[in-house]
Amino acid sequence: MDSRRVERRNVESLGDAIQLSSVFRAGGHTYALLSDMGAHKTVLSELPPTLGEEFGPLLKGGEAPAGTPLELDVGGKVEGYGVFEFPYGPVSWGVPEAGGFKLVTYGERVVKVIPQVNFKKRGVERSVVGRTPQDALLIIERSAGNFSASYSTCFLTAVEDYLGSEVPLKARWTRAAAIELERICNHLHVFGRLAETASQNIAASQANALRERVLRLNSKHFGHRYLFGFNTVGGVRPDLSREECKELSTAVRLIAREFSELVAYFLSSRIFLDRLQGTARLERGDALSLGAVGPAARGSGLLWDDRLTCPIDPYEDIYVNVETDAGEDTMARTMVRVREIESSTIVLREILDRMPGGGVKSGNRPKQQRDGDVLDDLALCRIESPSGDLIQVVQLDMQGRVSNLHVRPASLVNWLPFARSLESNVFTDFQFAFESFGLSYADSDR
Amino acid sequence: MPKIWVLRGLKKGVLTSRFPRAKPTSEEIPEHALPPVPTPQADWSAGEKECPTDAIRSEEKIIDMGLCVYCRRCSSAGFSFDEGAGGSSRALQASVTAHGKAGKPVFGRSLHVMMIDVGSCNACNLEVLNLSNPYYDLTRLGISFTNSPKHADALIVVGALNRAMVDVLRRTYESMPEPKLVVSVGACAISGGVFRGSEGFASPVQDVIPVDVTVPGCPPSPVQIIEGLLLATGRLKKETAP
Repeated sequence: MDSRRVERRNVESLGDAIQLSSVFRAGGHTYALLSDMGAHKTVLSELPPTLGEEFGPLLKGGEAPAGTPLELDVGGKVEGYGVFEFPYGPVSWGVPEAGGFKLVTYGERVVKVIPQVNFKKRGVERSVVGRTPQDALLIIERSAGNFSASYSTCFLTAVEDYLGSEVPLKARWTRAAAIELERICNHLHVFGRLAETASQNIAASQANALRERVLRLNSKHFGHRYLFGFNTVGGVRPDLSREECKELSTAVRLIAREFSELVAYFLSSRIFLDRLQGTARLERGDALSLGAVGPAARGSGLLWDDRLTCPIDPYEDIYVNVETDAGEDTMARTMVRVREIESSTIVLREILDRMPGGGVKSGNRPKQQRDGDVLDDLALCRIESPSGDLIQVVQLDMQGRVSNLHVRPASLVNWLPFARSLESNVFTDFQFAFESFGLSYADSDR
Repeated sequence: MPKIWVLRGLKKGVLTSRFPRAKPTSEEIPEHALPPVPTPQADWSAGEKECPTDAIRSEEKIIDMGLCVYCRRCSSAGFSFDEGAGGSSRALQASVTAHGKAGKPVFGRSLHVMMIDVGSCNACNLEVLNLSNPYYDLTRLGISFTNSPKHADALIVVGALNRAMVDVLRRTYESMPEPKLVVSVGACAISGGVFRGSEGFASPVQDVIPVDVTVPGCPPSPVQIIEGLLLATGRLKKETAP
């Protein structure tokens, strides 16, 4: 395990600036993975009994059986005159995925939201056990199609760390480029969905058109619209030439420029802004204690971005401007995403400008066998996926097959902050809050 | 300067695809959506060994496109993915099943479609959502999305059918009024794709409800989904496809 990125120490309780990120089992121990917001460090600790009980079922989500929907515990039961439960999903067009909610309401205001997950749990973590990393990759990158590059890069970085295999510089940089493209694409999607929800059809069409252009760039330069299969163990498939890098860079700049024009229109539309401002507030303290990640946390003023706080290779060399906003509402989360499209474009263009030469696949096969005891050994990687911090912990067995995988997706931990933010909001703001958190059932159910 | 959305919209011009009146362009059917074609030198047994989803069967010498996830591992065994390898029309992949309800001109030029996700990775969902973006604009073909199965003429099913969704899918199908069509989109819906062996997977969609048209792909491109919808309503015949 890379000691630069992860600190091993025992933590007894959660402090003001320590966030519980994940709980997992490896080699007979139960670990807690914590984010130290003050020191910007990832801390790995043996799980003390005082910690993680209430989060257990949520963070250890991989252990819940597939095939049965799960209601997340948002705490407390509300009863009273006129209070009823409004079921939503799993089939709906508002949330075009299989997943549901129970909205506890007495008419207009939402009292509580109880997310129902695991309608489409496939059991990715267990089904990759016993497969080679190359075979497991096919499943990993199809766990959440819209975050595919983050998933595959996270998994492969952990595997390669574990095996100690050499990965060419250019491959690492190409992976980072793919992750940034994915982020731009997803933020455009969120923007388009928000516009659609506010019935701003022209804004929605134009954001979707920009998104389609990014998808076509993905397919042209990385071989797949959703970046499946561009990653391989020890390298990447596409070998971007200088000209291709320049072409991609120009295309992305044009898209970003058109998007900023669109944003100027958006900011002058009172009708649009009214729907976002003051909607679904998530206070900073709640964001910290409930474990919010990604744009949702940054929209509440928490500074945590894996590109800055536990960077994988190229991000150590590249200046990433992490966007935060103290607004705490849907508008803040939207503006974080809007500014991240701009900052991602800058990062992506720098990656493309400075793309190193050389091969994209490692010549030497990774070591198939490891020496010594591997039981307590694990490799973990954190990647900033478009919706936030994605964590994967990998262990391989002596034959080089996956023996243990833990995935902590961003959407999983964002359910509780989302449910909290909606409390006492009006019913019709539901969709805005949902889209601004960037929640995906495929991501959280995996 | 006043910011007027409509003027901005007009200024952007027309982006929409010419399909189905013209052949889909290479941007509309990206490279990764082209199926594998065996070259004369293809080694079928090596292909079978490479294929992670058992789509290649060396004994019968067939590629089951319902299983293929377009991962391109078989390219090392002599299977080609080039556009030129098998003629241009092979980009269009949808096919009518033996159920026999597809292809009849029941719905004329209007169709109300609903999508149901039964356990996908979200990529197919997004490709279906993309159908309403300016590049594909389904409404120009008289096809529109609806929120309720009770208003739907056709059901698009995406994802590997999860055990938790079997009953939901059946009830959604039953609450649609007759006549009704079902289009299953993506390898996961048709066969389970890479999730065939996972614990959440129940069965292929056609084992639960009758499916009229299948659109293979992982995920299929929006144009291929449009083709599936047009095939289902009989507005596009396989032989006359552009």
